[in-house]
Amino acid sequence: MFNFKLVRRYLGKHLVRSLLTVASLMVALFLLCLLQAIVVSLDAGVRGAKRDRLIVQSAVSLFVDLPLNYQQKIGAVDGVESICKWQYFGGHFQDDEKGYFAQFATDFDTLFACYPEIEVVEGSKEALLADRTACIVGKSLADRLGWKLGDSIPLEATFFAKPDGSAWDFKLAATYRPTSTAMDGGMMFFRWDYLEETVKATRGETPGTGTYVFRTRAGADQAPIAATVEALFENGPQRVSCSTEAAFQAQFVSMYGNLPFFVSAIGGGVLVAIVLACINTMLMAFREQLHDAGILKAVGFTDGSVATLMLAQSLVLCGIGGFAGIGLAKLTEPVMQLMLTRFGVPYEVPAETVALASALTISIGLVAGVVPAWRARQLRVVEALRSVE
Amino acid sequence: MSQPMIRARKLTKSYLRGGETLTVLDGLDLDMDEGRFYALMGPSGSGKTTLLNLIGGLDQADEGDLVVAGADLAALDSSALARWRAANVGFVFQGFNLIPVLTAQENVELPLSLSPLSRKERREHARYALKLVGLDGREDHRPGQLSGGQEQRVAIARAIASDPKVLLADEPTGDLDRKSADQVLELLLRLNVEFKKTILMVTHDPHAAAYAGFTVHLDKGQLGCIETNPPRAVAARV
Repeated sequence: MFNFKLVRRYLGKHLVRSLLTVASLMVALFLLCLLQAIVVSLDAGVRGAKRDRLIVQSAVSLFVDLPLNYQQKIGAVDGVESICKWQYFGGHFQDDEKGYFAQFATDFDTLFACYPEIEVVEGSKEALLADRTACIVGKSLADRLGWKLGDSIPLEATFFAKPDGSAWDFKLAATYRPTSTAMDGGMMFFRWDYLEETVKATRGETPGTGTYVFRTRAGADQAPIAATVEALFENGPQRVSCSTEAAFQAQFVSMYGNLPFFVSAIGGGVLVAIVLACINTMLMAFREQLHDAGILKAVGFTDGSVATLMLAQSLVLCGIGGFAGIGLAKLTEPVMQLMLTRFGVPYEVPAETVALASALTISIGLVAGVVPAWRARQLRVVEALRSVE
Repeated sequence: MSQPMIRARKLTKSYLRGGETLTVLDGLDLDMDEGRFYALMGPSGSGKTTLLNLIGGLDQADEGDLVVAGADLAALDSSALARWRAANVGFVFQGFNLIPVLTAQENVELPLSLSPLSRKERREHARYALKLVGLDGREDHRPGQLSGGQEQRVAIARAIASDPKVLLADEPTGDLDRKSADQVLELLLRLNVEFKKTILMVTHDPHAAAYAGFTVHLDKGQLGCIETNPPRAVAARV
């Protein structure tokens, strides 16, 4: 027979100890969710990568530009459906303290064809084509920096600095929200012709592009298409490397080195420490309730029900703390998103992290409660009644 | 002739103490009839509490037969024994043994939670038991807020709440002053006379033993004798 009132009363008997245990579990599970979410977020681009998108970059380095006439040649390869170019701008907003964000020059019509997951939430695609300085930014970025449609956004260029040192001006014409983790929701895109014409006018040179992104026809085999693209430019002027979007994203993740392992190890350490703390708490509770366990058995409670009472205390204590920590992690998600977006990390506590943390919470409760529960079960009534709290 | 409420044959119980086997009950034979009040007396180490624990199903004999309220206790496993205790036996201990985190009402309801009674019925039964021991109005008090005598009366209310056939009391007045002790003893006597409960009370105190109808003397783990207390004394108290 299970008596939940007893569970509540025993946990309330040492309220400070119970609250401290709950608080430590809450902090531990919050940290675990946070760290796990960061690890998952670092990898989000790879996991969310589209299978029908391939990226072309210089075989030498991502920092070597490709000629503009490559676009037409790649677009003519059998199986290529649409192609767009991305040129990293590398500008700085007036107040870098508010956070860095990436900017890219592109052609909007081909960008939207290659990235159907870009959902325009404010403004319109027409507005982007109507003004040469028009740009589109992630909604989260616009919210963070307080931008509204029609605002002027001055950026100080690095790679494309004007000779007079003046800032580039952009006009916010639209905002977007990505519908897939393959697309970062905190970037800015502006028109290629604005970049090209301005660079030509001020520096007398034609800019190249960092990468080409193209989509393949539905059902097309990626490998021969990639091989064909690479073979096209085998003899120059610039050899290229064509990879899947997942492989392309993976090279950025690899830049973090062993960070995911390091972060996971910290989370694991926190978890082990909290399991030991919970076991200690429950063993203390068992010692205090030894005599009462004897009384319960004497009045007719079975070994199993007395063991369940101990296990239930552990599960309730760990459950409250653990789920409070998970709830806190979800509640603070918008704040963490704001803090981490500036580092280009699309923070989110995904459902699988919540499920993992929930499973860990229940596991901690079971692990911490199983020894006292087993000992309570094995307890002989006469010995328990002789014990003094 | 009906079966005795408690029937022990060649009951033996030993403990290991410091590497030596200490025989506490040594082939004890004993019959106790239904509806009677027995005092169990004897010097320290004579096996009184051990016998009480065996009869209550809190411990198991090494050898011998023990039938209580129609059940052969040696044939019951741990779970069955627990269920049997809940239905047939009420315990009153020297140290009261109430659950400190529960109120008087909740302590009395505790064994009732093992019965098929509804919550409302459990509450009513517990109220009635507390009223019977003179503690109505103290339902919401925790054990720490009650005197020793009141705590023991709550323990008696808990012992009788599920209407068991046998009440086992281990030195129930050992921790009480004389006045409280007399109240508790009169309560036990009333439960025997009015409600026909079979009561077995371990005591060192001849004054307490005089409340019982019979005094069973144990000596070195064996039955010494069974004395019948003067009926006048019992009748006068009732």
